[in-house]
Amino acid sequence: MNEVGLLDLVLEEEFTRDPNLVFLATNSPASLRRRFGSDRVRICAISEQAMTGMAVGAAISGLRPIVDLNRASFAMLVMDQLVNHAGRMHYLSGGQYRVPMIVTSATRGRQQLGPQNEQCPYGIFMQTPGLAVVVPGSLRDACALLRGATRWPGPVLYFVAPELNRQRGLSAALAAAPLRFGEAAHLRHGDAATIVAIGGAVKVASDAADALAADGVHCDVLDPRTLVPLDTAALAASVRRTGRLVFVDDGPRSGAPAQILSRLLDEPGVAAAAGGRIGYVCQPDVPVPSAPPLEETMWPTEGRIRAEVQRVLGEPE
Amino acid sequence: MTTAVAPARSAEPAAPDPVAMFASMVLIRVFEERMMELRTAGEVIGPVHPYVGQEAIAVGVCAALTQADSLVSHYRGHGHAIARGVDLDALTAELFGRAAGLCGGKAAALISDSRTNLLMSSGIVGAGVPVAAGAAMAAQVRGEPAVSVAFIGDGALGSGAVHETLTIAAVQRLPLVLVCEHNGYQAGNRTEEVYPEVSLLRLAEAHRVRAVGIDGNDVAAVATAAHDAVRLARGGGGPTFIEARTYLTRFHLQFERPSPEVRPSDEMAAWRARDPIDTARQSPPLRDRLSDADVEAIWERARERVERAVETARSSPWPAPEEAATHVWAEEP
Repeated sequence: MNEVGLLDLVLEEEFTRDPNLVFLATNSPASLRRRFGSDRVRICAISEQAMTGMAVGAAISGLRPIVDLNRASFAMLVMDQLVNHAGRMHYLSGGQYRVPMIVTSATRGRQQLGPQNEQCPYGIFMQTPGLAVVVPGSLRDACALLRGATRWPGPVLYFVAPELNRQRGLSAALAAAPLRFGEAAHLRHGDAATIVAIGGAVKVASDAADALAADGVHCDVLDPRTLVPLDTAALAASVRRTGRLVFVDDGPRSGAPAQILSRLLDEPGVAAAAGGRIGYVCQPDVPVPSAPPLEETMWPTEGRIRAEVQRVLGEPE
Repeated sequence: MTTAVAPARSAEPAAPDPVAMFASMVLIRVFEERMMELRTAGEVIGPVHPYVGQEAIAVGVCAALTQADSLVSHYRGHGHAIARGVDLDALTAELFGRAAGLCGGKAAALISDSRTNLLMSSGIVGAGVPVAAGAAMAAQVRGEPAVSVAFIGDGALGSGAVHETLTIAAVQRLPLVLVCEHNGYQAGNRTEEVYPEVSLLRLAEAHRVRAVGIDGNDVAAVATAAHDAVRLARGGGGPTFIEARTYLTRFHLQFERPSPEVRPSDEMAAWRARDPIDTARQSPPLRDRLSDADVEAIWERARERVERAVETARSSPWPAPEEAATHVWAEEP
């Protein structure tokens, strides 16, 4: 699959296990096509609406299609197929039909693709009912969540950060068992602050937490792994304990962080515990520019995360 | 639940019975007239998009299908559902928004029916076409002889998703039949006002999809064209685009009141003279096989059947408020 090649091996194993899996994309992995044939692994014209709409019809008819959209920006092309159809047909049919399909895409990398094709649009899909939203934070979780997606009873949007491809431990990642959706990973433990980190930002958030710990500031780091369903209970429990919350995300401030915060504030005790001590290290609500010095301002960095944690702790940097 | 219908034993349906097709058209006409009355009366909910004048297309196409075939419809879809054999009581209760409706009152006219492989009736113009192509792909992947039919209007050719799908369907030789009910109108516009030409066949041909133009008010012609297209698709011959010329004899839609839109009187008179039900009645073999009394009995049976469905719908309770939040997420099997 685009950007994270290890996922092709996961797909090969899952294709062997489940004969209902089919793959649609403008570019399909050659080995997958060789092994499973052009009926199950289809190369299509650059027609995202048709591919995604076909996946809806195939899923209703009992297959489990995977559409690889390549970049997450192309999700904007298929909003009707995803929002009005994939996410709504189980409801609209009064439960008669399921739509088990997966739409995969790559989010942002340091690739200078610019304002259109460097995007993390997963927050948008937290307000479109019926769609599961998966954003792995490690290579291992990327494999395990893709396996989980092939077992989920409804439509799944799977957003993977190109950054994960740099991680080591390929064979352990490939061997990881399918992950259930809705279970956050608790990556670091501490009482000073809760860091909620998403997708490609999980690694840098964990590194920042390690640096803070070396200075005696121990933070909780939680990776929700799936934004829908969201493990609100785990996140809320942490915030109630630490009383401080920092979001770290490659995506925009008004996307997933705002959505997660609104859900946490519904949980008893969270608003009182966090008070005003809430911070963000995200892409601001502006497009991602191409020139590296401009693009650099859009990334969560270890320094920015440490500074934001110190700010919510009420201490000078 | 996926497909509840077991594959038919034979891939070929029985030859269509002209009397049964006539009765089906009459049932659709009676149903549509009654639903418009009941919408005005406030008993039917949501918008009603009447299918009056287009009955021959739904009936002729469905006569060419087996149980294992799939159907995708849209908001002007009551006729497709009835021709396909969707339970009339459950359909009517759905249009009333009741608990006993096909979709529990969530869909109104945008129905699905897994019993008959009616996959969806989309409220988005053109959006059903790739969905039908996906069902066709599913049959192809499984090596089953099922075909998939999408009904669209002439307005759907304005949708990019339709053109994208035509390209893929041609290249992948999908067992897909697109039935374009060209009724001359797309919402408030006449098609010639917004399209470069009125024949839609060349649009399909440009995608290298087999295109067939027929008189959509002649049920026998529709049945023949559909039969040929379905047989070709089943045999691996790929998709067909059928342009069935017809006419929107009533209006785009109504809520509390019928739409006041006006049709040119000479145009309306010409199409009224070619009403699909009258045309079938006056053509062989029905001209010789059915007496006037036989025909009246068919109309009377349709009226009784529709009234029974209306009474059943009226006696069904509203869905419980907590049903609003069910079926958002599919259960893990």
